[in-house]
Amino acid sequence: MTVGTGVIAPKQDPWEAALEQFDRAADHLSLKRGLREFLATPHRELTVHFPVKMDDGTVRTFVGHRVHHSMVLGPTKGGVRYHPAVTLNEVRALAMLMSWKCAVVGLPYGGAKGGVAVDPAGLSFNELEHLTRRYASEILPMIHPEGDIPAPDVGTNPQVMAWIMDTYSMRRGYSTPSVVTGKPIAIGGSAGRLEATGRGVAITLREAARRYGYPLEGAAVVVQGFGNVGSVAAVQIARLGCTVVAVSDVSGGVYRPGGLDVERLVAHVREARTVAGFRGGEAVSNAELLELPCDFLVPCALEGQIAEDNAPRIRAKVVVEGANGPTTPAADAILQDRGVLVVPDIVANAGGVVVSYFEWVQGLQQFFWTEDEVNANLERIMVRAFAEVAAVADARRVTLRSAALIRAIDRVAQALYLRGIYP
Amino acid sequence: MSVQTVVMAPKGDAWEQALRQFNQAADYLPLKRGIRDFLAYPKRELTVHFPVKMDDGSVRIITGHRVHHSTVLGPNKGGIRYHPDVTLNEVRALAMWMTWKCSLVGLPYGGAKGGVAVNPKELTQNELEHLTRRYATEISILIGPEADIPAPDVGTNPQTMAWIMDTYSMHRGYSTPAVVTGKPVPIGGSLGRVEATGRGCVLTAREAARRIGLALEGATVVVQGYGNVGSIAACLLADIGCRIVAASDTGGGVYNPRGIDPRALLDHKLRTGSVKDFPNTDAVTNQELLELPCDVLVPSALEAQITGDNAARIKARLIVEGANGPTTPDADAVLADRGIVVIPDILANSGGVIVSYFEWVQGLQQFFWTEDEVNQNLERILVRAFEQVWRVAEDKRVNLRNAALIRAIDRVAEALHLRGIYP
Repeated sequence: MTVGTGVIAPKQDPWEAALEQFDRAADHLSLKRGLREFLATPHRELTVHFPVKMDDGTVRTFVGHRVHHSMVLGPTKGGVRYHPAVTLNEVRALAMLMSWKCAVVGLPYGGAKGGVAVDPAGLSFNELEHLTRRYASEILPMIHPEGDIPAPDVGTNPQVMAWIMDTYSMRRGYSTPSVVTGKPIAIGGSAGRLEATGRGVAITLREAARRYGYPLEGAAVVVQGFGNVGSVAAVQIARLGCTVVAVSDVSGGVYRPGGLDVERLVAHVREARTVAGFRGGEAVSNAELLELPCDFLVPCALEGQIAEDNAPRIRAKVVVEGANGPTTPAADAILQDRGVLVVPDIVANAGGVVVSYFEWVQGLQQFFWTEDEVNANLERIMVRAFAEVAAVADARRVTLRSAALIRAIDRVAQALYLRGIYP
Repeated sequence: MSVQTVVMAPKGDAWEQALRQFNQAADYLPLKRGIRDFLAYPKRELTVHFPVKMDDGSVRIITGHRVHHSTVLGPNKGGIRYHPDVTLNEVRALAMWMTWKCSLVGLPYGGAKGGVAVNPKELTQNELEHLTRRYATEISILIGPEADIPAPDVGTNPQTMAWIMDTYSMHRGYSTPAVVTGKPVPIGGSLGRVEATGRGCVLTAREAARRIGLALEGATVVVQGYGNVGSIAACLLADIGCRIVAASDTGGGVYNPRGIDPRALLDHKLRTGSVKDFPNTDAVTNQELLELPCDVLVPSALEAQITGDNAARIKARLIVEGANGPTTPDADAVLADRGIVVIPDILANSGGVIVSYFEWVQGLQQFFWTEDEVNQNLERILVRAFEQVWRVAEDKRVNLRNAALIRAIDRVAEALHLRGIYP
């Protein structure tokens, strides 16, 4: 699952940034002091220290976290990150952003996030398994198929989810597939899960074009990033009748003003594992790619790609954020002044968590959907979410990014008001 | 339960202090790096933020913690503190000290501690009940009669424990008295619990006196602090033939070298609110009191009473630390040079947690002991613990404080070695 980091300035403390973002949106809503504070504060934060026996027989002690930001709308949901720079503040911020992402698309979830301060590339497969099983045991009081459902994030993958699912199941004494999502299909993963984020990006691009009157037929589209998200988005966008004129990955990009053959490019990347060397276009750098003339720009790679320095030269009419936080706050303001429409990440790339939700539902009911059913439900949810956010943007005369946060916070606040304060 | 802070530098960070202490003692033990780290760091730390509806209808967000330091020896045990200065680092340190205290006296417990950053004196009884019930609900994923058993600490009392027990029981659907200790006797509290800390001071004093050739019959005793610990210790010491020559509380002290009747003094304090102005005594300040000529000094009040300033003027042969951390590290060195024996707090005042343990055992078995049974078991445990600490002190040529920590850490390390590293 690709999980929201929202717009985070690279050097700012992520938790402070998340709080600022919350405050700006919350100012649009009439929330009483105590309720506003409750919405902003993580419900619970668990820090664990645990030993792992390494292959050489030594024991290393690791620190991990699991934060539940809000359980007002339902169980908590969010990825587990393995990265040496993981801190409690980062995990807090990501958990809060998960609350807003789930709320904005109308999932019955609150936000969560987990993290272990470790470089997974520095561990053997065996050590990674032991670390994962021990971390899963330590956060056991927090996770539960009806309480908190982890998913992959930076540094973790379907194999890590399989280990967490297995550890939890062994402790329970029976298989509990719905305790994690992003599992391999063989043990209860969902059809369509891998493609979900890219598919969702294409759906929101289409909805934005329709609502704001940008023709799709023959529109020029540039996609940055050609991994799990970008490649699927490019294929789906091409099927909408658009012309994908440029794509890139870490090795650089290819550009063909008359349109790339996306299906052939996908086949090339499957073979060569890189966009580089594709003969159907001329080479461009990632920086040049962002500034190409086009109607739609779809950044699906890293954070902070559209920044203050290049924002004035972006020629797209619409930016659809397939990545998390590809646009810095300063760039956001410039794009807004220039009349460029930005479809924010928490809506545009929510397809991943939506199909994670479907995976959970299928695990709970132990009855599995066809890929068509998954995609039809994804379509329905993304269309509705975009319409709701656009309606808020129109009514309040704010950007789609502000509207998405306002809509999300309002939904949690309404639920909190209805539930009241226990006991 | 009065729970230990051991020797706590009043202004220093408690967690740093606890780690430094641990490292000093751990140096005496052959511990591998990873094992040593695992013994030092808290196993899990939960922080919760929760709303409480105040009597005026407003909502306040309150922060609380519950830390489990170690689960190697058994379920976690430790008090809950309500104080405006509560921080995660303080709770961590107190949880670690609880591990050593339980280990030292051979209880099947690991250390825990909880805290809520609130001034309970500013809350109404109704607000205090709501806060307690909500905090109990938030930490209910960590507490349980077989997992983690809270007890009273600074700012909480038997009534607080009754509310926690009731909240937990309501969630479970049946009464669960063993989830907390320090309860009122009518709902499963133990006989002898209130007197247990003072009784433990006397038992350890007796064991020490025997070994240093101090006859308690006719020995003179000074008691600082005349609350739950000091007054009981004074009465029980008088029962075995000691002469109580001085006692004090926050109002000041009273002195009569020919002896004071400790029960009459307690009646006086209960009637007037202070030991002050007890007939046939001279008034002394708390500072003068510590330096009076006597055989046994029992500081049972606050931290850091015997310091580098006054240690050279202490005239007692034996100091029994009824309070937590009454002797600073500076003073400790001076007293050691002067040949004054100090029974460290984690041993001298461990009677409280021992009878808390008995309360838990009685709750688990739903069968209740007579006061004699409680006191006999307390004596057996303390005599054995004292014997073990004394032997370590002789073998390793260290003072009783270091011996107590070494013994405590060694016991946890031995258990960890036997259990191994999961998974």
